[in-house]
Amino acid sequence: MFSKVMVANRGEIAVRVLQTLQAMGIATAAVYSDPDANAPHVALADEAFALGGSTAEETYLDRAKIIELAVACGAEAVHPGYGFLAENPAFSRDCAEAGLVFIGPSPETIELLGDKIRSKEAAVQAGVPVVPSSPMWQPGESQPDDISTGIGFPLLVKAAAGGGGRGMRIVERVQDLEPALESASREAASAFGDGRVFLERYIPAARHVEFQVLADSAGNTIHLLERECSVQRRYQKVIEETPSPALNDDLRNRMAESAVAMAKSAGYANAGTVEFLVDAQTGEYYFLEMNARIQVEHPITEETLRLDMVELQTRIAAGEDLSLAQDDIQSSGHALECRIYAEDPYSNFAPDTGRLLAWRPPSGMGIRLDSGVVEGQEITAYYDSMLAKLVAWGPDRQSAIGRMLGALESFPVLGVATNIPFLLRALAHPDFRSGYYDTGFIAKYPELTAAPGPGDINGAAAEIAELFWQTNGNNTSGQVSATPRETQSPWRGLSKSTFP
Amino acid sequence: MTTRRLQQTHPPEPEAGPAQPEPAAPVANGETGIDITASSPGRWEGRVRLSDGRTAPFLARRDGQQIHVWIPGQSYVFSPPAPTTRARRSGQQASDDIVCPVPGVVIAVHVSVDDQVVAGQDLVIIESMKTEQIVKSPRGGVVERVAVQKGDRVDRGMRLVVLVPVGWEEV
Repeated sequence: MFSKVMVANRGEIAVRVLQTLQAMGIATAAVYSDPDANAPHVALADEAFALGGSTAEETYLDRAKIIELAVACGAEAVHPGYGFLAENPAFSRDCAEAGLVFIGPSPETIELLGDKIRSKEAAVQAGVPVVPSSPMWQPGESQPDDISTGIGFPLLVKAAAGGGGRGMRIVERVQDLEPALESASREAASAFGDGRVFLERYIPAARHVEFQVLADSAGNTIHLLERECSVQRRYQKVIEETPSPALNDDLRNRMAESAVAMAKSAGYANAGTVEFLVDAQTGEYYFLEMNARIQVEHPITEETLRLDMVELQTRIAAGEDLSLAQDDIQSSGHALECRIYAEDPYSNFAPDTGRLLAWRPPSGMGIRLDSGVVEGQEITAYYDSMLAKLVAWGPDRQSAIGRMLGALESFPVLGVATNIPFLLRALAHPDFRSGYYDTGFIAKYPELTAAPGPGDINGAAAEIAELFWQTNGNNTSGQVSATPRETQSPWRGLSKSTFP
Repeated sequence: MTTRRLQQTHPPEPEAGPAQPEPAAPVANGETGIDITASSPGRWEGRVRLSDGRTAPFLARRDGQQIHVWIPGQSYVFSPPAPTTRARRSGQQASDDIVCPVPGVVIAVHVSVDDQVVAGQDLVIIESMKTEQIVKSPRGGVVERVAVQKGDRVDRGMRLVVLVPVGWEEV
């Protein structure tokens, strides 16, 4: 086993990986950007090194800087987390050349799976069903009309090097295609350094269900069951759960077989995830992509299977054979994850920034919080807006939902807007409670994201603010009106109300 | 002022209509059901009685001129009165500042001065937290000013574009 590992990431995943490495008795090193100097992952690691700079490009995406620091501190391996360099084959190669083990699949596998066209071909070869799609497009190349032939509308524009919904657009009409291609290409170029995009048939009422797979270097490959990820905004997951309410045993078994076949076809070693679209109307499923990294939502698998994904990843990277057989994978109970984003759910989930004036993680039976922030921390626009992941486990689905609702209710966050009010509404919604929901869930129910009107502002909250203001001795006029901080964020507000 | 909030928290007076002003009543601690259990400069926590009679925990934080309040499941920001809205030319709709909804970097500006725009048209694209945010025109008009250019770092609330109604300049 490694004696020292560098974690080349930030936020909750850096903390999560560091915790496991430390529990395994492995010395840890972290890296950080200037705005992250006081972040929890820096405090937690045995050693932490400044990358110098603020933007992702200057810091967590700077391959040379990270490898130089890893070698200098005597690390034997690098854990990339997710995002940043996790699926960058060049980084994986750089690590190997510098004598470092990259905790993830081989650069060849990352390259194959990172190319959505080639990965689809691999799926077809493995006998896994796929969604019809177009060749690649980039600005100045072929006419959009040429590539949309045979796909039909509505369709999806997707980035060749994609993930997390970046560079993705849904297009309903032919006249909207060209602007969507350009915008998606620009976003993809900025997020991934690759502006190639393509079109894919859009399947309405689809569910997004993925299977966790695990493979060792000897080729032993197993699946760790599914995660249902259909609650999405801007094509990014918000709530995930396992087991999926959409699968029966027959469909589950067929999809699991496809996932394992796909992993084998890609020559996969380490932890990976095979994503599928499930057509809720027909019960058919299609391969979407395979993610060559640890997923954001891995904790729900950990909770129902009682295992540690990061430990398994690390053992595989260190050359150990899988200690688990397929028959060892027995799920227990139900787990849900809610991603806590710094965003305003009432303004189209626009990201928010600011200082975390209050951050009091909830606790309780079956509750787990994977967090990358602390009270007092500045949330900047430099990085992703996800602050933490709240996970609830229960012996059954309804008890897991109940525990999650209780934890969200008792989770004070002040200073930045969060999606907690949205999460509470979504979990309480009859469609979610019944399990009959798909990726159109948020768009279908505007009440999930409707801003409360002035009359909906809780009177107790306004009274507290009023008393607080008065006792600070700053109330000169005797009139203090409560207004939203921004006109774009009506939820903050009491724009029409006045309190004495 | 009678407020919707006051109607909500206190049972409405039988004779008090929604539009009828009411003298500003000072809030006495004992009457509001606010019980402060811990406080330090700019920070309170305690329990509050909700309109349905239950009590619930709360947190309050002061940040500059703003007061942030958390009660179970909800967070609010309260601010002192906003400055009076600027004077408008009589009989005319005022010019309209299109402000930046998120902090980030301007990656595209789709309009120029004197362009006529329609409601829903893309004006400016901001990249924030690695996501494109498209700022659309809230209504039709003519671009009077473009305050940013590609590559500018922008903050929430910063003016991006100033619109005036069509025909404004001829008046």
